Amino acid sequence: MANHKDDPQSYPALGRWLMFVDNPRNVDRICYALYGLCAFLVVLDFFYYKKVYTTVEKIPGFYAIYGFVMCALLVICAKAMRKVLMRDETYYAPYDVESEEFPEHDLDRESHDV
Amino acid sequence: MFDVLPPFVIYLIGALILPFIKAGNLRSAYSLLIPLIGAWIIWNAPIGEHAQMAFFGFDLELMRVDKLSRIFGLVFSLAAFIGLIYAWHLRDWVQQTSALLYAGSAIGAVFVGDMISLFFFWEGTAIASVFLIWARGTEGAYHTGMRYLIIQIGSGVILIAGVAMHYHASGSIAFDKMTLPMSISSIGDIALWLIFLSFGIKCAFPLLHNWLQDAYPAATVTGTVFLSAFTTKLAVYALARTFPGTELLIYIGAIMTLFPIFYAVIENDLRRVLAYSLNNQLGFMVVGIGVGTELALNGTAAHAFAHILYKALLFMSVGAVLFRTGTAKGSELGGLYKTMPLTMIFCVIGAASISAFPLFSGFVAKSLILSAASHEHYYVVWGILLFASAGVFHHSGIKIPYFAFFAHDSGKRPKEAPMHMLIAMGLASFVCIYVGVFPKPLYDLLPYPVDYEAYTTTHVITQLQLLFASALAFTVLMRTKIYPPELKSVNLDFDVTYRKWLPSLIGYLAIVVSAIFHGVTGFINSSAVKIIKALHHSHGPDGSRAASWPTGAMVLNIALLLGFALLVIYVS
Repeated sequence: MANHKDDPQSYPALGRWLMFVDNPRNVDRICYALYGLCAFLVVLDFFYYKKVYTTVEKIPGFYAIYGFVMCALLVICAKAMRKVLMRDETYYAPYDVESEEFPEHDLDRESHDV
Repeated sequence: MFDVLPPFVIYLIGALILPFIKAGNLRSAYSLLIPLIGAWIIWNAPIGEHAQMAFFGFDLELMRVDKLSRIFGLVFSLAAFIGLIYAWHLRDWVQQTSALLYAGSAIGAVFVGDMISLFFFWEGTAIASVFLIWARGTEGAYHTGMRYLIIQIGSGVILIAGVAMHYHASGSIAFDKMTLPMSISSIGDIALWLIFLSFGIKCAFPLLHNWLQDAYPAATVTGTVFLSAFTTKLAVYALARTFPGTELLIYIGAIMTLFPIFYAVIENDLRRVLAYSLNNQLGFMVVGIGVGTELALNGTAAHAFAHILYKALLFMSVGAVLFRTGTAKGSELGGLYKTMPLTMIFCVIGAASISAFPLFSGFVAKSLILSAASHEHYYVVWGILLFASAGVFHHSGIKIPYFAFFAHDSGKRPKEAPMHMLIAMGLASFVCIYVGVFPKPLYDLLPYPVDYEAYTTTHVITQLQLLFASALAFTVLMRTKIYPPELKSVNLDFDVTYRKWLPSLIGYLAIVVSAIFHGVTGFINSSAVKIIKALHHSHGPDGSRAASWPTGAMVLNIALLLGFALLVIYVS
């Protein structure tokens, strides 16, 4: 459905407004904001009474460290799993929907500027 | 006979009348009335048992209302209502009827008080729902539907076998708390394990889970929304009803939260990613049932309520993308926020809810379960649940909206989702946020009194730390290009055993057996040929035995025989 005349002016207003995320400089800004926010949340840990049940939770920034490390491990393990588990889309065909086109009778494809 | 009409009757009658309404919009509007009437009945039914019925000498109970059944009944009604709004455009009476029968069976099962009625509704959900897969109308969907049906019906058959043995051993068919024996010494013990297994299949326990990821992405755009709500949560309800406090469930649940997130990271089909994350969310509920304290069971019920709505919301938003573009694969999507911004926002609300962001429904529900696990000193399980919470944000919270609506621009510029889909998503989003901001109405519906404050400083800050660190991990991995790209592929899961390996094993066995068979029959044949040839050689027309003998030879033989006989007589 690639559009022959891809004119941003024809997008919905909200979509046009959100287009700042397409600018790489703004992407960088969002990332820096995220880094700052993470640092701020860790620093916050020193400034309130932390009511916890386990010893590990007392470590300042425990949740942040745990979240970051485990998620990184998750992705790295999952990526390694691909080497063993990944097969072609037609692996189960024709007994599987994966390699089929989605039937048109259940769709209503329409371009935004029609 | 009935003080209160069981709501499934409304769904049954409604589904029977529906095909006769010909005008499309009228039929869709009519279908919306049914969950409304059903919910009204449930809302007004007082606590107690309201509909007994005799059946072949058994007393069946069709309308047992307590706080546990009521919350599930209400959220099922709400899910059916939202799903039917989403499916307003459907002009396929088969799908509309089966959606009503499916919701009606699930609601029927929630309110029964005995296991025989439960069996009927249990199978009802299986049979009604398969049409939502077959409605896709392709060969792949037909085969997927058959696999789904075999497993679902199998669960029901195991259930009724367990119920029969349980009745034989205990004389009871009550659908109530049971104690799962840790050793099997009698028929009654086997019965309880069969019932447990039957619930486990529908609840997608590890290694019994594949039907879920197989079937849900194969259904129609609207069908998946219905599928996501009922079957698995009915199983959660059944487990909460019968096996609360079974420690085994804690470990089963913990594994369930864990392994699907790995698959969700590498899966390409976004509806299958959601199916894996559904499996992971069920794990939280199962842990809650296993812990079995009032806090934990409240957590399970609250999480089921919140989960049904945000999961439906996520399936609706990805469904809307599929509806407009013809694909739900991450590798073919991206950049859709430009022309489908509202769908994107609803998707993000669903993602924030499933990730348990403060002010969204998942936050006030999931924390009950985590707190319960930690209060009961299951620290390893608590650590796993924490990891799974971070992981679910990673693959459902970020991956789904990111790859569908942002990421690389696919060049697709589809129109915004149709109005009725936006209304359905908007309604689900509203409930997700409302419950997150004002948890009290939800807490009031829970089975036990709630003495829990979700919004404490510690809880909010630690949760935000966990989630933003998870987002940080995603960002860092994305920018360093370590994050695995979306690839057109299938990933082998346990179902490869029965979809590929077992059939190939049977194929190999068939080759071996047929080789042995051919060897043996070949040997017999060649032996028979040899014998025949030998006989032919000696007795054939030219054989030595066939040569003509003189008459004297016979006389000589008879003389010898007589002489031998004389000798025998003489000696004796």
